[in-house]
Amino acid sequence: MRNTFTTMGTVASLEVPREHMALVADVRELFERSESRFSLYRDDSELSLIASGRATLAESSAELRDAYASALEWRSLTGGSFTPHRPDGVIDLNGLVKARAIAESGALLQAGGCLDFTINVGGDILTGGMAPRAVPWRTGITDPAHAGDRNAAPLCSFPMSVHRAIATSGSAERGDHIWLTRSESAPEFVQVSVLADDIETADVLATAIIAAGYDFLSRATANWDIDVLTVDRAGELLVTPGLGGMLRTAA
Amino acid sequence: MRARAVIGSVVASAAVLVAGWQAGATVDAATVASGHAPGSRVGAEPRGTATASPASPTGVASPGAGVALPSPGSSAPGGGGTTGRPAGGAAAAPAPVAPPAPAGAVDGVYTGDLVDTVYGTVQVRVAISGGRITDVVPLKLTDKGSESARYSREAAPILRSEVLSNQSASFTSMSGATYTSGGYLSSVQSALDQAGF
Amino acid sequence: MTLTDRVPGLALEKRRARFARRSLASDVLITCLWASGAVAVALYLSSGSVGRTSSAAEIITTVGAICGLVGCNYILVMLVLAARIPLLDRTIGHEQAIAVHRTMGKPALYLLLAHAALLLTGYGMSAGVNPIAEIIPMLSIPDMPLAFIALGLMITVVVTSLVAVRRRFSYEAWHLIHLLSYVAVAFAIPHQLSVGGVLADSTWQRYYWIALYVIAFGTIAVFRFVVPVVSSVRHGITVAAISPVAPGVTSMFLRGRGLSALNAVGGQFFVWRFLTRKTWWHSHPITLSALPTDTVARITVRGLGDGSSRVLNVPVGTRVMIEGPYGLFTSATRIAPKVAFVAAGIGVTPIRAMLEQGEFGPGEATVLLRASQPDEAYLWDEIEQLATRRGAACYSLVGPRASGANSWMSVGDAQRGVTIESILPDLANTDLYLCGPGGWLDSISAAARAAGVPRHQIHSERFDW
Repeated sequence: MRNTFTTMGTVASLEVPREHMALVADVRELFERSESRFSLYRDDSELSLIASGRATLAESSAELRDAYASALEWRSLTGGSFTPHRPDGVIDLNGLVKARAIAESGALLQAGGCLDFTINVGGDILTGGMAPRAVPWRTGITDPAHAGDRNAAPLCSFPMSVHRAIATSGSAERGDHIWLTRSESAPEFVQVSVLADDIETADVLATAIIAAGYDFLSRATANWDIDVLTVDRAGELLVTPGLGGMLRTAA
Repeated sequence: MRARAVIGSVVASAAVLVAGWQAGATVDAATVASGHAPGSRVGAEPRGTATASPASPTGVASPGAGVALPSPGSSAPGGGGTTGRPAGGAAAAPAPVAPPAPAGAVDGVYTGDLVDTVYGTVQVRVAISGGRITDVVPLKLTDKGSESARYSREAAPILRSEVLSNQSASFTSMSGATYTSGGYLSSVQSALDQAGF
Repeated sequence: MTLTDRVPGLALEKRRARFARRSLASDVLITCLWASGAVAVALYLSSGSVGRTSSAAEIITTVGAICGLVGCNYILVMLVLAARIPLLDRTIGHEQAIAVHRTMGKPALYLLLAHAALLLTGYGMSAGVNPIAEIIPMLSIPDMPLAFIALGLMITVVVTSLVAVRRRFSYEAWHLIHLLSYVAVAFAIPHQLSVGGVLADSTWQRYYWIALYVIAFGTIAVFRFVVPVVSSVRHGITVAAISPVAPGVTSMFLRGRGLSALNAVGGQFFVWRFLTRKTWWHSHPITLSALPTDTVARITVRGLGDGSSRVLNVPVGTRVMIEGPYGLFTSATRIAPKVAFVAAGIGVTPIRAMLEQGEFGPGEATVLLRASQPDEAYLWDEIEQLATRRGAACYSLVGPRASGANSWMSVGDAQRGVTIESILPDLANTDLYLCGPGGWLDSISAAARAAGVPRHQIHSERFDW
């Protein structure tokens, strides 16, 4: 059964078996709590209070500090390509918070006994287990050339059998969490999709690759167990061997 | 000392020294072969320890031993990242050192040695100006040659025609750049959601 | 009688084999000692940065770092030499080990001083300041202040051990300062593991270096603390009786359990610690003057300095801690068919014990006893009895000292034309065991060498009191 709700400035789509529909309410509440703490679009969120100086990081809640610490760790791991620091100095955790909320929802669903689910929040997808028909969840990646056309064919589609999570970042969207590092020249990639075993890694790396370009792509694929598909400004595709193999064979 | 002891000591010591020299030469050769210039040893101090501090550039470990990447374990509680092997000298991550470069560091840009960490081979360039570290930049790491021994996960080109021709099966969700709640309505996902109800 | 007693040549064979084994072991130890310094240098070489050294500043810092590694390596070797390890004692003897320890003191300190000076100079040069000015920034690096303190302590230890300075201190004060060397070594460890790239995390160099420390401190902990405590508890030794032997010379009898398990051999000594409030923190190396039974041991002491007088004044029943047995002044080092035991003054104690051990056949041994006056003939009665029982010849040399090269014998003997060859006809085939005061020892050793006795057949123990 599918359920959609608005959260974090986008729409979340949730697919769970009928018998676990009750858990959807918990998931919605989880997102609401996260948004009330971290949204920079709400003046009274904890993060906004800190951004405006009315509260300090030292007094903040453990969850916020935890999220911030995690963001810093990712900043280290990606060598600065992913960073929670906006050029104007505000701490913006939006990029990470969405992924963490998705991950927590996944854990919540699994704890509730629901093992077959798909959560898609604004294009970041986490799947759990096999679809009810014992066939892996199949996902498509949008074709950036046909963004905005709800009838457009995807760039490709494949089963989520190797990695559970996929996150896609686009340069067309200047989300608050993508700050082009080093040079402000046009990005090499217009769309980057990362498949990983957890949504946080997929989201962070997708963001970092879009921001830092090919240099970071090499490093990301060498150091993390991920698959990546990128689209450059000319529409040319790059894909990692694992995913490439899946796409070339009838799967 | 007996002659046998003298000879034994001389031979053993010479053998050890030669072995050590060879080992060092091998390390140097690997550094050069991977295409990166060996780090310059001019400039700053003996390697003190360095820790990432969130708002400022990381402290630098000095000549020859390369620079520590901000070690993940030092700024975050727990969380997955194990500390790689930071550059020699920056080993004791918890010991904090002020970001200002050790006194006496000459202004300039220094390239550290290649350092092996859990996350791969790392080389960092540090800029020092006015006695402070002003920039820490990780350098390119596209060392295809030295990575050849590992299973290559490098992304490679693929043609659209290779992909689209195989896409006959249906799918249940769509990953794309984040759409706003308004944008959702014109996304493929909304079509899927409608079909899924 | 054992097989070796019945077949004369066999004992000799065994002794020669034992000697060969021990000299091989000794050479291996010497090789290891020098090689350890080479390894310390190799630690630096193998870290790969030497090939890129070019400027003067870099060369200076490289040499400075290597000096530190080698110097510290030898400091650890010195600690191990003084740890009274039985293996070392059996191979080169405790006295020899301490002699090597003493010789290494100044060179090791020079290396550490060079380490500090060269690094201050080298780093100063790259930063454009003089070495003295370089000290301040150096101190701001974590663990470096401790390292400076460590160097200061080590300088203190070595300076107070210079002969000229040591004389001004009482033995206890000097020893206390000397123990600071452990503190110095410990204080220097943090900076070795955190500053400088050679011993970085996860390198094999770091593991080796840590292993060195583990071995050094481990052996010290085991052999200077654990083993004595365990041994003393196990044998439960107390002072049983004190009886005078001659003016100024006293025998002390000690009671214990299972003393034969100590496997003390004639000629060996123990380090004794008498547990009274005034004496527990002194330790005394004293030779056994008789072979211990399972329950009784005897030492004979000449009350000269403060230390020995204190020993003689402890009450009966005092608990005693022991370390040992130590010493290579025993039949274990014999290689020749014949043996001669020569004792002067209180030097009779190990001789008396070795005679009792009796590892020689009738006619193979000669005993020479030297005293300036008749009342310095301590334990001579026992020795004469033992000599008769074992079939050893026994001579005495009593009288004021002769002059010149003959100072080891009496004036009367010199006038009669006594020489070392005349007393010991088959010198070339004789093991000489000499025990007595330093000056006398030098004189008789010189005479023996002059008469052609090979160096490894002369065994001496210096008894200055």
